[in-house]
Amino acid sequence: MEVKKAVGLDVGSQTTKAVVLDGTGILASAVITSGDDAEASAKAAIEQALQQTGLQFDSNLYITATGIGAKSVSFSHQQKGLTTCLARGLHHLLPSVQLAIDIGAESSTVVKLNERGKLSDYANHDKCAAGTGIFLQQMAKLMLMSLEEMSAHSFKAKNRADVTNTCAVFAESEVISHVHRVPPTPKEDIIAGIFYSVVSRIMTMCKRIGIKKDVAITGGVALNKGLVHVFEQEFGFALLVPESPQAVAALGAAIVSKETLEKGT
Amino acid sequence: MIVAGIDIGSRAAKGVILKDGRILTCFIGDTGPESVKTSEMVMAEMLKKTGLSLKDIDYVVATGYGRVLVPFANENVSEISAHARGVNYYFPSVRTILDMGGQDCKAISIDGKGQVTNFVMNDKCAGGTGRFLEMIAEVLNLPLTRIGDVSLESKSAISFNTICAVFAKTDAINNLRKGVAKSDILAGLHEAIATRCLNLLKRVSIQKDFSISGGISKNKGMVAKIKEKVGMEPLLSEDPQIIGALGAAIFATERLKGVETGGMKVNYGYSDGTGEYFISVDTAKCDGCNKCVTACPAGLFVVANDESGKPRAMVKEELRKKIATGCPGFRNCGQAVNCHSVCARDAIRHTW
Repeated sequence: MEVKKAVGLDVGSQTTKAVVLDGTGILASAVITSGDDAEASAKAAIEQALQQTGLQFDSNLYITATGIGAKSVSFSHQQKGLTTCLARGLHHLLPSVQLAIDIGAESSTVVKLNERGKLSDYANHDKCAAGTGIFLQQMAKLMLMSLEEMSAHSFKAKNRADVTNTCAVFAESEVISHVHRVPPTPKEDIIAGIFYSVVSRIMTMCKRIGIKKDVAITGGVALNKGLVHVFEQEFGFALLVPESPQAVAALGAAIVSKETLEKGT
Repeated sequence: MIVAGIDIGSRAAKGVILKDGRILTCFIGDTGPESVKTSEMVMAEMLKKTGLSLKDIDYVVATGYGRVLVPFANENVSEISAHARGVNYYFPSVRTILDMGGQDCKAISIDGKGQVTNFVMNDKCAGGTGRFLEMIAEVLNLPLTRIGDVSLESKSAISFNTICAVFAKTDAINNLRKGVAKSDILAGLHEAIATRCLNLLKRVSIQKDFSISGGISKNKGMVAKIKEKVGMEPLLSEDPQIIGALGAAIFATERLKGVETGGMKVNYGYSDGTGEYFISVDTAKCDGCNKCVTACPAGLFVVANDESGKPRAMVKEELRKKIATGCPGFRNCGQAVNCHSVCARDAIRHTW
């Protein structure tokens, strides 16, 4: 009989990520935009990952789901918390990491790992938009540029405009007043302020659970080099960024699947 | 004796003129981008209505967000003290006030003389403020003055498990798309804001009688929800929006008569999605000894004169809104010497 494939699924509010493992490592992965229907998005993500391998979406899969929409996926075999999956995925990719910052679209999480890569503490923030990916997207819209452009501009900043880190709505008013000031605050300084607003918010969580090297950053926001740079200035050392930072929790879920399969047989 | 109070709020500017303790006139206008001009306009409108000139006014006290920008004011006081006095003018029996403004929300405890004994303010998160209601009115394409009444038409309120204005907006749009009635969405949002207000009120302890001031208290749907949550009928003045300006004018009267003010618990900080971050200083206990200023590793404190002119410990204004960034909280402070250990009179408290 053919061995079941271990699959990890991370159903986020904006993107759905799937990772398929085989005996030796990652076989395939996919990142797609989440639609209104979490179950359909989950299926589409797995199918897209399987396409790269020639496999079919069938009973020969063992699926562990995580993320905000995990509960809505009826065909998953088990669910695991996002923090556990993040810890597993990250320890697999970067074993030296002891603190991980994950910034998703609607939440941010800080995870502390012990020497064996097990989750030892975490701080999570999902009740408001400040310090999340949505906040950055909203700001990009306001600044009339893409997130990539914002990232590039931020490196030119000489100063940092004051932008609150506690409320996305009030931060928006502050950014608008910076833009309309006479003379206007330079846009790179405003962007530096926007990035610092996110970073300082998350630094509060890091300080709460304790900072230990190495520190990694995951989630879609980890692709923003300008923001990562601001984090590095705050920490005073370089951060590790895994190769596909968006898929780390899905990878962790796939590792959990694999362990469950090994235990079962 | 003719005195005036000017309240420059984040969204609306208000003015009241008192003659021998009775309201002569009042005015409400929009706060424009230039607070100085706005305050001059408020005063000019009131003088026009009464036929007075500025030199007929014996004393002017300014309050509100833009209080330092009123050029003709003799003095300014915090809007918290002003609301306390203003509510006390109408209802001396009130002990708890909820002030709902354009960009903040405050819970205030007062005594029978209209003096503040304790207060807590949230001005660092748009959830539960007028700004939140403005955003929602915009999304639902309804005038701001209508949303309260529409919310009362609801048959089954949608529940919102978020206090974040950004997330609530997204949820409201999704519900609209699904064909949910605007009244049900509004009822749910009013419920969410009322819950938030209740939590703020609990921090100062809710005592009879209860009153609501500020512009949002003109929203009938909001008042009904708060009444339901708090379990008390709020006493509402004729125009709850002018309460701050009225209180400032009463301060002006007191200054001319030379009345002294007492101690209170002052809460510095904010609450947001991640928790409540407040440091409170009991000004009745604090003697301004300066020890906390040197002890705090985050340098949060400063000693300055309070409204009655006595030296008291305060959290620096520029750090008040970033309180949790510098201070890890009393439990996690980890310093052998900190603000609590050096305070001989035990006047300082942390909530986290």
